[in-house]
Amino acid sequence: MMLTIRNSSKLIVLALVLISAFGCQSKKKAMQASNAAAEKARIEREAADKKADAELLAARKAEEDKAKWEAEQRAKESESRSSTPAVKVGQYFSAISSSSNLGSANASINEALTLFASPETPVFIVISESGGLKDYDKPTTIKDYLNYLKDQKKNINAVSSVKTDGNGKITELELRKN
Amino acid sequence: MFNNDYKFRFLFLFSLALSGTLFAQSDEVSPERKQAIDSLALEKVRDLSKYISIIGNKKTAFSESSRVMDRAEELFSPGSEMGVSNLKNKEVNYYKVRKYFERLMALNYDRVSIKWYDIHYISDLERQPDGRYVGVVTIYQRFEGESDDGMKYKDTTKKDITIYVERKKTQIQGRTIEFWDVLLGDIRVTETGV
Repeated sequence: MMLTIRNSSKLIVLALVLISAFGCQSKKKAMQASNAAAEKARIEREAADKKADAELLAARKAEEDKAKWEAEQRAKESESRSSTPAVKVGQYFSAISSSSNLGSANASINEALTLFASPETPVFIVISESGGLKDYDKPTTIKDYLNYLKDQKKNINAVSSVKTDGNGKITELELRKN
Repeated sequence: MFNNDYKFRFLFLFSLALSGTLFAQSDEVSPERKQAIDSLALEKVRDLSKYISIIGNKKTAFSESSRVMDRAEELFSPGSEMGVSNLKNKEVNYYKVRKYFERLMALNYDRVSIKWYDIHYISDLERQPDGRYVGVVTIYQRFEGESDDGMKYKDTTKKDITIYVERKKTQIQGRTIEFWDVLLGDIRVTETGV
């Protein structure tokens, strides 16, 4: 009887040991699974962060490229505007009328004349306009008008329109009183 | 027969009067346009002022003076005269504008300064029966001449300038342009003082 009880106790202890061992193993497995999930989540998070960073960088680069392109376009447009005959003529008018000495005024006049088909190119000055009707000052020639700017030192008429020939030379100039 | 003739005459006279009215209306200028013409005429006087100052300036090269005299002369109607006075002699002498410019250029001073100021209308531009606009602008001219030997002369003269403005047409490069032709007439001395 005693032997049976002793054997039973041993069996119980063995069972407890086995159960305990089995329980630890399960716990270990559960922990391992939990760790793997956390690692996976971390990797996924890192990947998502990297993707977000990459997208942000790409968006920034796109914005920078767009700004650069727009700046280039503006520069091109500005260059294009400043190289139109009307703008060039306006710049010469300003330079001649504000010239402090005769030599530089005459040099500017000679340069300005190269934009025109002839020194006799007509210049029309609009003094007023209402209801589509234009009132003009007496027509003059570009040579006389440039000398007028030199003599009077006042630039009171702005370039309103220009007509050019096939070579890009101005054949007619219309000005308007400021 | 008499009735028909009477009707014809009436219609003829009526249409003549109507066309005359329409013509007169088409020649009317709005206040805005009139103001632009007034300003244009004053600008021509200011231009003359600058030309006279250039011609009188002893530092101006002869070639430049000659060119400027041509431009200044173009501002005047043909035959216009300029009055000249001085403090010593109350008599006013009149010269054709070209002669006046030549005398001005040859003045016996080493330094000459001529300035016009207070330029304004004393008689507004008014439309005349011939279609021209006529007005009078007054200016004050300050003259200062000085020689290296110490000779000095200064005076201030009040002058009246008659202005004529006329609508004209011209053809340029096959295009008909109507423009306002502003011409200066005689310049009369009205006062001379220190």
